[in-house]
Amino acid sequence: MTKLSNINTRIQWNGDSALTLFFDKEADEDLTRHILSLAEVCNSIFSKKLIEAIPAYQSLTLCFDLQSIETDAIEESIKAVIDNGITEIATTTSRVIKIPVCYQGAYAPDLEYLAEYCKLSCDEVIQQHTQTIYLVNMLGFLPGFLYLSGLADQLHCPRKEIPSLHVPAGAVGIGGNQTGVYPVESPGGWHIIGQTPISIFSPNAKQPFIAQPLDKIHFVEITVEQFEQLKQEQA
Amino acid sequence: MSLKFIKPGMQTSIQDAGRLGFMHQGISRSGAMDPLSLQLANWLVSNPLNQAAIEVTLVGPTIEFKKSLSIAICGAEFELTLNDEPVFNNEMINVNVADVLAFKGLRNGTRAYLAIAGQLNVTSLFGSQATHLTARFGGYNGRQFETNDVLEFVSTRKVKERVLPKDYRPTFSGNYLLRCCEGLEAKQFDQESLDAFYDTTYSISVDSNRMGLRLEGKPVPLNASMGIVSSGLVQGSIQVPPSGLPIISSVDGQTIGGYPRIANVISADLNILGQLKAGDKVSCLPVSRQKTWQYLEQKHRFLNALLSS
Repeated sequence: MTKLSNINTRIQWNGDSALTLFFDKEADEDLTRHILSLAEVCNSIFSKKLIEAIPAYQSLTLCFDLQSIETDAIEESIKAVIDNGITEIATTTSRVIKIPVCYQGAYAPDLEYLAEYCKLSCDEVIQQHTQTIYLVNMLGFLPGFLYLSGLADQLHCPRKEIPSLHVPAGAVGIGGNQTGVYPVESPGGWHIIGQTPISIFSPNAKQPFIAQPLDKIHFVEITVEQFEQLKQEQA
Repeated sequence: MSLKFIKPGMQTSIQDAGRLGFMHQGISRSGAMDPLSLQLANWLVSNPLNQAAIEVTLVGPTIEFKKSLSIAICGAEFELTLNDEPVFNNEMINVNVADVLAFKGLRNGTRAYLAIAGQLNVTSLFGSQATHLTARFGGYNGRQFETNDVLEFVSTRKVKERVLPKDYRPTFSGNYLLRCCEGLEAKQFDQESLDAFYDTTYSISVDSNRMGLRLEGKPVPLNASMGIVSSGLVQGSIQVPPSGLPIISSVDGQTIGGYPRIANVISADLNILGQLKAGDKVSCLPVSRQKTWQYLEQKHRFLNALLSS
């Protein structure tokens, strides 16, 4: 049993049917585990009354079915859950997932710009990007989009001022201090430094998501030929 | 047992009440932008209220029926014809094989819902048959309808004739008041910013869609120190990006947001978002959270009264 009450927690209404819990602690693996554990406990305690439990770096947003809760008492109920302490989810569930990325040519339209901004060579950018093991903090934004932490300081680069209208599915980008993979085609403001041929989100598959929070991601460099071969195998 | 799209319309897709419980995987709710009109259309043909129907947006389709059945249309008002004879919203309509239903000029509102007495043959993914247009799954092949698409039915039923009582027929004036409660980061805005936001009548921008409605007008002044850490973004959140022009998050919106939220459209008014189009005027009215729950209660009672009538 761990007491989340050791972490200063602020509870605030988010609209008229959700509450967001803010945790006053730096976003790291421990906090992510705390947040996921709390989400699991809330799901079991509130059951069908709780429609969504959305973890983020330093918060957990709980969306309730207004017709089945006592709106005036819900804040107290949540405080009680936190004060009671929670059982942490097992650490063994986390995996290291390798994502093959081609950092060449048309698959990496913004690599040169980013390298120049960061005062590195393209090879150094690739080397830095592939040598880190990233933590999946949460999924969000788009279906199956992974929010990763651990990007090397040297690779931080402000987002594009004018977002691209069409970023392809599988594009690997850097925006600010974040890196990630676009699961579906979408507009986007990150600098695209590579592309993966594998599906990050497959809605019809038994396992639609390539990773879950607390998993680790390792980007592995592949050639254009390997990219095309893997792409064909996927089809 | 099907219908065929002779013309697809601008953005015609299958929608139901949306998918719940997957936001932690980045999957937004999707579903009808105006769930109340969806429910009323379903009620007219004696369907479960949240069943999947066809959502029509701004420019409507032309549809040929390959089966005799009963249908109903609610929400935005189009000039409607069945084999060139006028037909109307808010009442059950019987159609025969080879009949052609045409959505012509839009009179008011933005989205109409066409329900059929029966069930559409679409699979359910992540707990819903709704088309997730941004991620391209669900509904009809994960996309909006195109010319010559054929939508099959699992079943159709004979149902009793129904007409929507006057009180339940919406009017879409193009001028709307959105009741709002305090947003998650509202306290970070100073009084001047809050006043500016609530005093401004905004126009809906042409860049609005099912993800979000962008507001145009006087920008909300922002103080430089506003910094937030991304957190769960709920439907109806009104975010203020650096431009100062607010964005209202809707059914296909992001699940996590990074701009400060000044206000939140109350649950009871979310269906109005589905009827907003470019050029419409909106202003926001602050209400207490206690009041928002009462308004939602009233709305449920209003709908329940129809169900038990």
